[in-house]
Amino acid sequence: MADGFEIDIDEELAAFEAEERARLGLEDDREQWTDAMIDPFFSAKERPTTTILNGGLTMAHDEFVASALKGIGYNTRPMDCADVEALRFGKEFGNKAQCNPTYFTVGNLVKELSRLRDEEGLSAQEIIDSYVFLTAGACGPCRFGMYVTEYRKALRDAGFDGFRVVLFQQQSGFKQATGEEIGLVLNPQFFMALARGLFAGDVLNVLSYRMRPYEVEEGATDRAIGEVKREVHEALQENRSVLRALWRGRKYLEAVELDRLRAKPKVAIIGEFWAMTTEGDGNYHLQRFVESEGGENDIQTLVNWLLYTLWEMRHDTERRMTLRGTDESYYGLEGSDVGYKMAGVWLGELALRATFATFSAVAGLKRNKLPDMDEIAKVGHSFYNNELRGGEGHMEVAKLVLNVAKQKANMTLSVKPFGCMPSSGVSDGIQTVITELHPDAIYCPVETSGDGAVNFYSRVQMYMFKARERARLEHQAALDTYGITEDQAREFLKRSRYAKTFYKAPHIVAGTSADIIHEIGPLVGKGRLGRTKVHATRAVTRTKGFVTADLRHAKKTFDKMAPYLPSLGRLIYVELKEKLPAPKAAWQTLMRRAVPKSEESAETQIPTTHEYTPTPTPQAAPNPETLRLQVVS
Amino acid sequence: MGSTTVKAVVVDPETKDIVWSDYQRHHTKQAECVLDFMVRIGQILAELSCDDVRAFITGSGAKPLEAPLGAKFVQEVNSVTLAVETLHPDAGSVVELGGQDAKIIVFKENKQTGDKSAIASMNDKCASGTGATIDKCMIKVGMPSEETLELHFDDAHLHHVAAKCGVFAETDIVNLVKTGIPSDEIMCSLADAIVMQNLSVLTRGNTLRHKVLLLGGPNTFLPFLQECWRKRIPETWDERGYDYPKDVPIEELIPVPENAALYAAYGAVMYGMHEPAAVGVYKGLDGLRRYITEGRKERLGESAGPPLARDEKELEQFLGAYHIPMFIEPEAATEKVRAVIGLDGGSTSSKAVLLSEEGEVLMKAYTLSKGNPIQDSKELLAELRGRIRAKGAELEVLGFGATGYAADVLEECVRADVNIVETVAHMMSATHYFGDVDVICDIGGQDIKVLFMENGDIKTFKLSNQCSAGNGMLLQAMADQFGLPVTEYAETAFQADLAPKFSYGCAVFLDTDRVNFQKEGFSKEELLAGLAQVLPKNVWQYVVGVPRMAALGRKFVLQGGTQYNLAAVKAQVDYIKERVPNAEVYVHPHSGEAGAIGAAMETLRVVTRRGSSRFIGLDAAIDLQYETKNDETTTCHFCANNCSRTFIDAFRPDGSTSRYISGFSCEKGMVESKGAMEAIVKERRKIMKEFPNLVTYEGLKAFKRVAGVQPMPDAGTQIEDVKVERKFFGSIERTNYMRTFQRSSEQAAEQRANWRVGIPRVLNMYSTAPFFRTYFEVLGVRPKNIVFSDPSSEEMFAEGGKYGSVDPCYPSKVAQAHFHQLFFHKHEKSPFDAIFFPILTHVPSFVTDAVDYASCPIVAGTPDVMKAAFTKEQDYFENRGIEYLAPAFSFTEPTLLKRDMFDAFRDILGMTEDESDFAVGQALEALDRFDEDIQAKGKAILEQVEHDDKIAILVLSRPYHNDPGLHHGIPDEFQVLGYPILSIRSIPKDPEWLQRFYGEGEDVLSVNDVWPENYSANSAQKVWAAKFASRHPNVAILDLSSFKCGHDAPTYGIIDSIVAKSGVPSSSLHDIDANKPGGSIKIRVKTYAHSLKIREEHLDDVASRKAELQRRIDEKRLELLRMKQEQLAAHRRADLGLERQIHELTEKVGRYRIEASKAAEDATLSSAVSESLIRLGKKTKDGKVVRV
Repeated sequence: MADGFEIDIDEELAAFEAEERARLGLEDDREQWTDAMIDPFFSAKERPTTTILNGGLTMAHDEFVASALKGIGYNTRPMDCADVEALRFGKEFGNKAQCNPTYFTVGNLVKELSRLRDEEGLSAQEIIDSYVFLTAGACGPCRFGMYVTEYRKALRDAGFDGFRVVLFQQQSGFKQATGEEIGLVLNPQFFMALARGLFAGDVLNVLSYRMRPYEVEEGATDRAIGEVKREVHEALQENRSVLRALWRGRKYLEAVELDRLRAKPKVAIIGEFWAMTTEGDGNYHLQRFVESEGGENDIQTLVNWLLYTLWEMRHDTERRMTLRGTDESYYGLEGSDVGYKMAGVWLGELALRATFATFSAVAGLKRNKLPDMDEIAKVGHSFYNNELRGGEGHMEVAKLVLNVAKQKANMTLSVKPFGCMPSSGVSDGIQTVITELHPDAIYCPVETSGDGAVNFYSRVQMYMFKARERARLEHQAALDTYGITEDQAREFLKRSRYAKTFYKAPHIVAGTSADIIHEIGPLVGKGRLGRTKVHATRAVTRTKGFVTADLRHAKKTFDKMAPYLPSLGRLIYVELKEKLPAPKAAWQTLMRRAVPKSEESAETQIPTTHEYTPTPTPQAAPNPETLRLQVVS
Repeated sequence: MGSTTVKAVVVDPETKDIVWSDYQRHHTKQAECVLDFMVRIGQILAELSCDDVRAFITGSGAKPLEAPLGAKFVQEVNSVTLAVETLHPDAGSVVELGGQDAKIIVFKENKQTGDKSAIASMNDKCASGTGATIDKCMIKVGMPSEETLELHFDDAHLHHVAAKCGVFAETDIVNLVKTGIPSDEIMCSLADAIVMQNLSVLTRGNTLRHKVLLLGGPNTFLPFLQECWRKRIPETWDERGYDYPKDVPIEELIPVPENAALYAAYGAVMYGMHEPAAVGVYKGLDGLRRYITEGRKERLGESAGPPLARDEKELEQFLGAYHIPMFIEPEAATEKVRAVIGLDGGSTSSKAVLLSEEGEVLMKAYTLSKGNPIQDSKELLAELRGRIRAKGAELEVLGFGATGYAADVLEECVRADVNIVETVAHMMSATHYFGDVDVICDIGGQDIKVLFMENGDIKTFKLSNQCSAGNGMLLQAMADQFGLPVTEYAETAFQADLAPKFSYGCAVFLDTDRVNFQKEGFSKEELLAGLAQVLPKNVWQYVVGVPRMAALGRKFVLQGGTQYNLAAVKAQVDYIKERVPNAEVYVHPHSGEAGAIGAAMETLRVVTRRGSSRFIGLDAAIDLQYETKNDETTTCHFCANNCSRTFIDAFRPDGSTSRYISGFSCEKGMVESKGAMEAIVKERRKIMKEFPNLVTYEGLKAFKRVAGVQPMPDAGTQIEDVKVERKFFGSIERTNYMRTFQRSSEQAAEQRANWRVGIPRVLNMYSTAPFFRTYFEVLGVRPKNIVFSDPSSEEMFAEGGKYGSVDPCYPSKVAQAHFHQLFFHKHEKSPFDAIFFPILTHVPSFVTDAVDYASCPIVAGTPDVMKAAFTKEQDYFENRGIEYLAPAFSFTEPTLLKRDMFDAFRDILGMTEDESDFAVGQALEALDRFDEDIQAKGKAILEQVEHDDKIAILVLSRPYHNDPGLHHGIPDEFQVLGYPILSIRSIPKDPEWLQRFYGEGEDVLSVNDVWPENYSANSAQKVWAAKFASRHPNVAILDLSSFKCGHDAPTYGIIDSIVAKSGVPSSSLHDIDANKPGGSIKIRVKTYAHSLKIREEHLDDVASRKAELQRRIDEKRLELLRMKQEQLAAHRRADLGLERQIHELTEKVGRYRIEASKAAEDATLSSAVSESLIRLGKKTKDGKVVRV
């Protein structure tokens, strides 16, 4: 007692007030909700006993990614392709008014966990403790771009409160979460493994869609691709060279006999990313349906999407770098080193193109030109502003324009989930102008809702009829151009190099059969001399084309990239300094000489080591400093 | 092979002539019908072998018969297109209405090659504008089919029918029938609605080229529908300036060709001509016969699930537990039966109960609605009286209460004692029988109500809007399909061994599924079982949207007429028990009359308390005379809506009369004379003034001039600028330096002053208009030359909503109508130089630390979609000499914004960059001042309600929902009930002010703790507002989202969690769309008002308990101080400070006693005086609230 007397009035009163508050029911009983699942932690200690589930892309990609991660020491398992049952789970546990990709992907995870619980008899807690799900972090701004929210909600509502969804960010760099404590180390090794799986998946997907429509024996392509996949899986799981596996796989593919003289319309599939990539109920097995209707699919690869995200970064940085100041925002350049960022983007693009070219060359994928993102942006902009983001952005519109203008496909099929915000809500509205400007375009926008496959197929069939007619006319026109018959062409092809599996005729028109006729037409019925003359003329044309178009294009690209060469050097210097300690000193001396004094202060800001970065929490905006090579699921 | 009919043609391939044809309804036996056709065709082609016959089939039911027949399937639109190309090379377009789909084909000519290409659009997902809708509505109208064949289109008296959805249309038709509208007017209204729906949506913004062929069953057989097309299509031609031959008779421009029904079949053959000879070679009848007998069954397993009950035992157990015992009326003990009457006037049926003074149900009566609520009620009352009399007793009615849609009219005509909303009536009835229940699920004929209870009252509730997915009608309609009385539904469904898996959702889609399953060969029993199984999914997942049922509680009560169908009950019970393992599921013993019982119970309470009834009496009610009038004289002309009203004049036996008016869409329609209307409007305005509505205020204020703008600096004023240089290693160096301000020429200024711009008042303009208006004004554009379109309205959309090629959310879709208004009204009056509709990729937001502040992709992209819509067929801008400006801006990057604004307007407005930058600076400040103004008003309201222990309603919506055409006046409905309305913008964002509602260390403006993926600026603001409401004791939530809103979708679960945890009162409408769901809004407002009242009572209780706490603490302190004084005295010590404290506290405690007795007096007085109204007040530093 402070004053030596027995009563402490304040204490007595406080106790009395507490009692009275309780008696009168005045305690502040309003609780507030916060999401306890926001920061999941998967520790290194748990790694041996934890299975990482992955999914959401094409089956080839999902399986390769799982094998690749297995190869670097993780327990991984790809989930089945999302089916109607997954959609039901998604709808039951997801928010109302979500889009199909969200329902399918989120539902697929809940379905798998429910299966583990109901069929394998694991308790919810056991599942939570021994499984994590790996996916790319949300990227906004459409509802599918915010699907991570939905994973948490659905998992919580389905009774898996606390289940860990581990994310890597699409817009961040190569080193997102590293450290000894972390279960899933998002280091270059992880991203390289991911990339190997993704590139192999892309290349094999394109090959299989090219071959299957023309196989002489039904099922031969799938069998051969299956063999190549097996080789790739083994290589990935054992962390061996994937390129070697792809090379070994060529023999299976080469054995598939193809008849490319079948006039089939080339159907370019565009639209919403998930709807056009999935190969299951999510798009009613669209690709197989197109094939069954006599078409050849021209699919979008993941690399295209990666190139688009790199283009976005380059475009956004260039647009802002000459401003009078820097803005603090998602796209703003406040605190970012422009040179370093641009160098990273250019390096990323070069690496992407080079790697894809290597994978393609080794696997036998020829003449598969990756899109020129600047051209796409330019073509799209007057219809669909380049600043509009979400989904495929301006690409959808630009691709249709290019498909028509450059005869890249006989038909363009834009598949999107019902009510897709960027695709149904914006692109489809704008495409009506394109079809008005190009009345010849066969453009089929089609929505998937999960049910009503009959109507979906019926709609596609409606356009496939026209496309088949178009392909037939194109095929006939090619024959007529050279005055040859199909039998003559077929006879010529026998045993020629043009009939080989990996052969791809140069692009003249849309259809594969017409292209090959254009290639062999001038040769049919000619003697050795005549054929040599044709080959010589072609060599000259090709060289001309190389000089007038390819070299010019390369120069243009180089001109754009040139201002960043010093920055590129700086980037490589920083990376090498860490990777190769021996030449480090030499580099340092060299760089010290190369860098003017005024630049030194800037240099000190450049990260020179792989410092520990904590697990990125989704609420933190991606750190522009870590922007290097893009990796996307 | 269509959904209702099979059509066949035999064509000679040489001449392309039709050799034989037929057209039959298949009554869902498609394969059998085809077999019959093939047998007959075989007879006429007897001399040919199968190999000489090729078959091509088309239509929604054709695919499964492809293999059995050896035929080739052809997609329908291709067939129709080929038939038209062959038979009518001059056709410009085709409109075909089928049973379950509608198709529009427009042939466009390639100007260079002359080739025609067909652009086809097909509605196969939705029943709007199809033959099925017409069929269903025709049954509702009850017009004999021979009469419909004679009916001619007349647009003199058209009524509102929502053709957007087949189910909505049906609801509207039922209402029109009920209000006594002549059936020919209804049919013409329906035709008009369907034609307009197809013209505005299915054409995808294309103009139909002449000549337009009308094909398909409805177009072929219904002359009034043909005439409607012939009226409306030329109207669109005139409107769009499409050139068509005016001298050709309309029947030739828009013909219905002979044999129109056979076109698809004929076209399939034309398709076959393109196919190689080996394709489609007919295999004969064996395959088809085998398919009919075996093949179909084999396929069933794939799409089938388990039956309703696994075995007999399970069924017996279920029936034992859930069989509702037959109601046996208690015998009349005395000659006089004293009771109250409760009446539930529902949309499809009316029910009445007699309740004794002890609350026992004495008698029940039921009648199917005949369209007039007074007549229905009179008949019910007469029945009750008659049955009591038959028992030899006399009925003494102690009181009369009503609920349901008839309650309003009965309150007026027979002076009902009680008029309560259905939800509350159902709640009272359920709790009466089952005590403390958690969930009440009422499934009626038309709607579904699910009430979530807490502490014996409704916590929240969900209603089906106008959507009939999951209601009793669905089961009824299914039973009708098989000519089965609905009472035999359950018995039949229980016989099934398996059940097809319907996909849940829209009722019309379910019907499509039903047709498909039937085609696959499922039996009647199986289909009935499958549909019963889908009902709980529709209720819980589609309507209610509750994923985790266990979180709702464990005591469920099922009621509503549908519960008499035990198949539905079985499915419900299984569904609930599967998800809530320890659930107790009860079925109300008087399922169908639960609402009437609730009304009767409330009547009993009210008349007992009041001691008397105001009911006019049973005999007087039964003898009530009334007149219903709906004609030109009853149309409301107080505004441009011209609502077609119905007057019901009741003449009571005592000579008094009353008039009940229905069918109006706003308060003005409530009365007849202009004087009375003005008085009502004045009264309403008075209330609105007392209870401010900041949603309305903000919506208006956003487009007004913002005061306080600084004048443009003079040329030569010194300003600071930045020089930007790129360094060798890519870094950017910025150096500050001083220079003079550059002004543009006077000539340029003059041009700017006269520059006239039109801006659509839509979407992000609601949050950024003050910025753009100020920018233009600072640059010298005359304020009157900055013209916004009007707020959205139904009329505006009806007039200008036909250009869209896509069907996004209504807020985006309505933009085209604003463009239409700018082109055809505003520009006509005084021409524009430009129409400005910027692409806003990022919008302003107060939420801190968000990942991004992106605008919704659809909203951001709409300016480009509008450009496409208004330039594709003809360039509406160029034709009028208007420049269209849709540059992209981001509001999160002020530096970039400055440059983009300059780039966008430099050539048009001829200003210097300095002038533009200055204007941007001023415009951003104006936006801040706009915010400050709204927030000051919000703060005043919040402090006032807190002081008065009242409630304010915070509307959680996107800024553009401030548009009255988008929120449909829902916030105003609460405002007139006496609740001030707050918008999200109006909540003060001052962290210091906010801090007291938040926990220590909480970031008061962040939502990262509940939603880290907050890319969407407006959605994040909604989540923030929900967080705020959950912390402020005096705020309740009204959550509005548009149908299809993709950006709000991820936040539904988050807001639900926030609301559920904190218990903040909340009501949400997540599917507001183009049409105003009047009935649904009314029930919601009334029910939510009930919850809010309870919340207010709670606040009152808390306030009085807080006062009591203060008094008790003061008394305790006094007691302790006195003890201390005594202790000091014992030690012979004194403390002056202590003495003073005791003196002051004694006085204070004394005052409490005086106040308590005064309060008791006041309480008696205040019950006579109306409650004090909330007025705007402001809190002063000492905590007092003063009027502003």
